[in-house]
Amino acid sequence: MVVVLAVIGMVSAGVLSVVYQTTSAIIEENAARALESSVLEVLPGTSTVNIIRASRDELGEDDQRTAKEREQTTTLIYQGVDEQGRPVGYAFVGEGNGYGGVVRVLVGVAEASDEILNIKILEHTETPGLGSRIENDDFRQQFAGKSTQDPIAIGSDIDNISGATISARAVAEAVREGFQDAYAAYRGGQ
Amino acid sequence: MTRIWKNFLNGLWDENPTFRILIGLCPTLAVTTSAINGFSMGLATTFVILCSSVLISILRSVIPSKVRIPAYIILIATFVTIVDLSMNAYLPDLHKSLGLFLPLIVVNCLVLGRAEAFASKNPVVASAADGLGMGLGFTWALTVLGAIRELFAAGSVFGFQLLGEGVTTIGIFALPPGAFITLGILIAIMNMIGVRLKNRAS
Repeated sequence: MVVVLAVIGMVSAGVLSVVYQTTSAIIEENAARALESSVLEVLPGTSTVNIIRASRDELGEDDQRTAKEREQTTTLIYQGVDEQGRPVGYAFVGEGNGYGGVVRVLVGVAEASDEILNIKILEHTETPGLGSRIENDDFRQQFAGKSTQDPIAIGSDIDNISGATISARAVAEAVREGFQDAYAAYRGGQ
Repeated sequence: MTRIWKNFLNGLWDENPTFRILIGLCPTLAVTTSAINGFSMGLATTFVILCSSVLISILRSVIPSKVRIPAYIILIATFVTIVDLSMNAYLPDLHKSLGLFLPLIVVNCLVLGRAEAFASKNPVVASAADGLGMGLGFTWALTVLGAIRELFAAGSVFGFQLLGEGVTTIGIFALPPGAFITLGILIAIMNMIGVRLKNRAS
């Protein structure tokens, strides 16, 4: 009884490890390529994407926390560089709490003006047909041209989506708060 | 041969998992927001039922009956993980839209139900026919459900726009209540056809 179960478990584990090994490289490559193509979308004219890690607090490499804890206080910034090697701008991922869960937004900011070029909703679990309208072009384009000086809030400089206030607010929150962090990290780090 | 054919057809109509036995309803209601989602969820489940039915049928005399449920679950979970990983690698967009419901095929009572009720008592070929029939029955049911919901909620079927721009779509069909409403109406239609067929036969 135990032997049969153990054998079944072992064979399953063996098969799965083979499948995992063949697919994991492809899965990682897909994820990296998906992110890169998203960065290209919010930073038009980009040919290569550099990843900049900026720590949100001033503690150096010698601090006692685990790598995972450090990762959580690290802002990842994607710098887009054009064919001539000039920086086009930078992009970051902001998170806001929506109606159905976390809304993750990728925001592209122009190098020269520090104004938002475009935003892209990476991930959301909002209600289809209502909250999912945060993906519509008319809503997203409202964020273009905003800088860290703008309020970036629903009802002041961003129009609400009727029937999807919480989802729209989540996007504004993600952009606003992520923008502050990324701006500080990107400009402060130079 | 006719008996095997009968095993196969059983799942498509007489004991259709979605419209007749009403099992595996959680993924049915959750993923059928579009025809392609329903179709691919159906095919993923078909692969799992077919493989697990065949394997369980082969091993039916080896697996002691006291530990048969954990043994079945391990086998089913293995196939589900294979589907999950390979879909993530080769069909990332589809994997994203099916999301959490792909790994949840493990606990779809349809899969374990067929293992327990059929594959553990029948020879390999019959079990394969039963698994394939059940899977395809599940697939066509989910595809029809998804197509109807997509048509009313987005005006398209399989991504092809069928209704013009001016037509107002009904958003509730993309939401869980829309799934229940559509499923209820489809079951009613299936029952109506069933009764008609029986009357004609007698």
